[in-house]
Amino acid sequence: MTSPFDVREFLAGFLAEAEEHLRSSAQNLMALDRSFAQGQSNARAVRDLFRSLHTVKGLSAMVGAEPIVDLAHAMETVLRSADRAPGTLRREALEPMLQALRAIEERVSALAEGKTLAPAPAAILDALGALQPQDGQGGARPDAAVSLPPEVLAKLSAAEKQQLVEGVAAGKRALRADFVPTPERAAAGLTISSVRERVSNVAEIVKVLPLSRPRSEEAPGGLAFVLVLLTGGSDEAIAEAAGIPKEEVLPVAVQSAPQPAPAFGEEDEIPAEAVQRRTIRVEVGRLDDALERLSALVVTRFRLSRALAALGARGADTREVAEIMAENGRQLRDLRAAIMRARMVPVSELLERLPLVVRGITRTSGKKARVEIDGGGGAGDGQTPEGRSIGGAGFAGVASRAGQEGRSIGEELDKSVADRIFPALVHLVRNAVDHAIEPPDERARLGKPEEAVIRVSCLERSNRQLELTVSDDGRGVDATRLARKAGREVPATDAALLDLLTIRGLSSRDEATTTSGRGMGMDIVKRIVDQLGGELLLKTQRGSGSTFTLRVPLSITIVDAFSFACGKQPFVVPVATIEEIVEVDPGRLVRAPGGREVRLLQRRGETVPLLALESVLHMERGTEPRRKALIVRRNAEPYGFEVDRMLGQQEVVVRPLEDPLVHVPGVTGSTDLGDGLPTLVLDLLSLTGSLGESRPS
Amino acid sequence: MTGSGDLHVVFKVADAEYALRASDVLHMESYTGATKVPGTAPYVAGLVQIRGRVVPVVDVRARFGLAPAPLTLDSRVVVAQANDRTVGLLVDSAREVLRIPQEEFKTPPEVVSRETQGFVKAVAQSQKRLVLLLDFGKVIGEEPSLPASPVAKAGRPEHAIGEVTANGQ
Repeated sequence: MTSPFDVREFLAGFLAEAEEHLRSSAQNLMALDRSFAQGQSNARAVRDLFRSLHTVKGLSAMVGAEPIVDLAHAMETVLRSADRAPGTLRREALEPMLQALRAIEERVSALAEGKTLAPAPAAILDALGALQPQDGQGGARPDAAVSLPPEVLAKLSAAEKQQLVEGVAAGKRALRADFVPTPERAAAGLTISSVRERVSNVAEIVKVLPLSRPRSEEAPGGLAFVLVLLTGGSDEAIAEAAGIPKEEVLPVAVQSAPQPAPAFGEEDEIPAEAVQRRTIRVEVGRLDDALERLSALVVTRFRLSRALAALGARGADTREVAEIMAENGRQLRDLRAAIMRARMVPVSELLERLPLVVRGITRTSGKKARVEIDGGGGAGDGQTPEGRSIGGAGFAGVASRAGQEGRSIGEELDKSVADRIFPALVHLVRNAVDHAIEPPDERARLGKPEEAVIRVSCLERSNRQLELTVSDDGRGVDATRLARKAGREVPATDAALLDLLTIRGLSSRDEATTTSGRGMGMDIVKRIVDQLGGELLLKTQRGSGSTFTLRVPLSITIVDAFSFACGKQPFVVPVATIEEIVEVDPGRLVRAPGGREVRLLQRRGETVPLLALESVLHMERGTEPRRKALIVRRNAEPYGFEVDRMLGQQEVVVRPLEDPLVHVPGVTGSTDLGDGLPTLVLDLLSLTGSLGESRPS
Repeated sequence: MTGSGDLHVVFKVADAEYALRASDVLHMESYTGATKVPGTAPYVAGLVQIRGRVVPVVDVRARFGLAPAPLTLDSRVVVAQANDRTVGLLVDSAREVLRIPQEEFKTPPEVVSRETQGFVKAVAQSQKRLVLLLDFGKVIGEEPSLPASPVAKAGRPEHAIGEVTANGQ
């Protein structure tokens, strides 16, 4: 396979950006929903929605995700006419729009998983098409004539052609620049993402199109990107920005088309872009990488301090250096904290997605419910006393608030925790609608308001934990029925009830429903919380509702790890620390000279000292006859650790072992491989210390 | 400190009955084994996961220098808290919660102190039974000495990082 380097990197950027725009689209749709409910129109939400979808469309075209382009385009068309004729967008438009948005989200996830995209559902496209006013205004306009090769031209939408026409009319020049990704360019920092970024500083990007090219020396990836631009600047500036020769910037002739429509909120567009520039999107992997490099630095620092101690022991005056070392230690800690901070995302990002989830379910279940997010004891509250509830201010939907005022919930948590905890929250909220909340007529009979309230709140506890609660005012958990179903005694306490509720595969509803009954039961919620090293609690009252509390750490360390067995016990090691895994052929081992039991392994002309891990750890040897060796490298020196067998590779959550009783060399933490038992995370690099030092000198 | 005395969790190790203040005990769990952590003191039975939390377990028999006993269905881990630490104690059985008035606790006789290496801080005669009040802090080694092998030192930098995470500084 030749380097798919650029496309992959580009895809990651696409996903991050698309996700952001889809989130804000969802918020704006919810805002529209509320405005409609009050009989108002919301021009601002329409415009924001339009802008987000337009960006999604452009991004999707770049990765060739045509079904997404189609959906976004159809939504955009509806919005465009709504903007031209305010008040024409009606409530009926909302449902197809929400469906279309969900369809886009599904396809974005499919893209992330590398699956092929299902075509845009015709029903949704038709529904959106039907919403358009048939007065001919927003519809077909004669296409502008643009001098581009047919394969490029075919991908330009009418709106984009219009954009070219308007640009030229405004005195700009239309240009085309082709960027061909190569490993050399990537090494020089020139990828399609960076080129896009750079070119956008000197020109207006109308379209970026990937085109396949015959593989050649110039185009080793078999891929080129055609950038269609509008600029008031020079060809040189563009050539420079795109990292290509000036001759490859080609003019594009544009024939003006009759009566250009007013551009969509063009003045607003610029400040919005300017605001965005203050933040950058970074792949989490890059931060992990930085963190990993920092760990290497910490190890080096430790070696320095040991060397220093040795000097001191020989009578040297090391006081001054020791002070510098201490300072250095503090700086490393600060640096680590800074990197960890960069990984934090606002909790509000998670919570504001929940109202949409509920809206979707209530439509299919016929129940009435709204989500209230307990958040924001006032905007701009930076300094908050410990354990303060962020609850308070009564509230009509977090989406509007987050959309209009920025973040109302100041709490943050690590991106990896957020990604893991979100499915658990969604499940709890779905469960509430599905199982807990009574149908409207029953609620009316019980004297409850017909519309149920699902309250989601968030509180930062003192010990670096976040407490999220999901409460409903439904019927409460039926302990008796649950116990009968599980064939157990009726639990006496809420804690015992929760234990029962989280038994694998037990669902309190007899028949699976379309929403909650899809295989993810309370046991999964429990497992998610457990794996994060958190706690799940339940408080329930028959007839008046349940509250689930999730306490999770604000940040966790997740590593890609190999698991293996040694001396009858499973262990894991971070994949990043292992250079290679090799089969140990006993016939090819050499015993090292000297007293200690060191055997040597020949590997690609290198001699690798091989240690049986169980003897380093003072454990019993397993019974495996043919064993594997994990090769690590410290200071350019290879070391091999012999283990019984490899078990697999997976992402694990590492919990530090803090208690002094288990503060031991080579063990950096523990993890749960899914069996509910702690598994030790080893640091083989630090275990090489014993080997290096005890070598005969 | 009511007149009737504080609640204590009472458990058995070998032939003696020991107690911890119930307010220090988080929970009692049955014990089916722990994940061994190589390089720890011989009395550390390993790690167990209790309610999503990873807790080190001290084998009280080993800690007291008593002969090991096979695990039974009665074996329990008494999880208790001292300062910021949460540690489990592996004991032979634990069933009772007793109310023992403060004044019933006496300084242990010297022979008991010596026998138990200072792990017992008081004794109480409760309804004709002798209950030994454990010094939990001492049992879990308030100032534990790390193994003094060179490997031990090499392991530390990682823990230094771990501490940073833990305190979030």
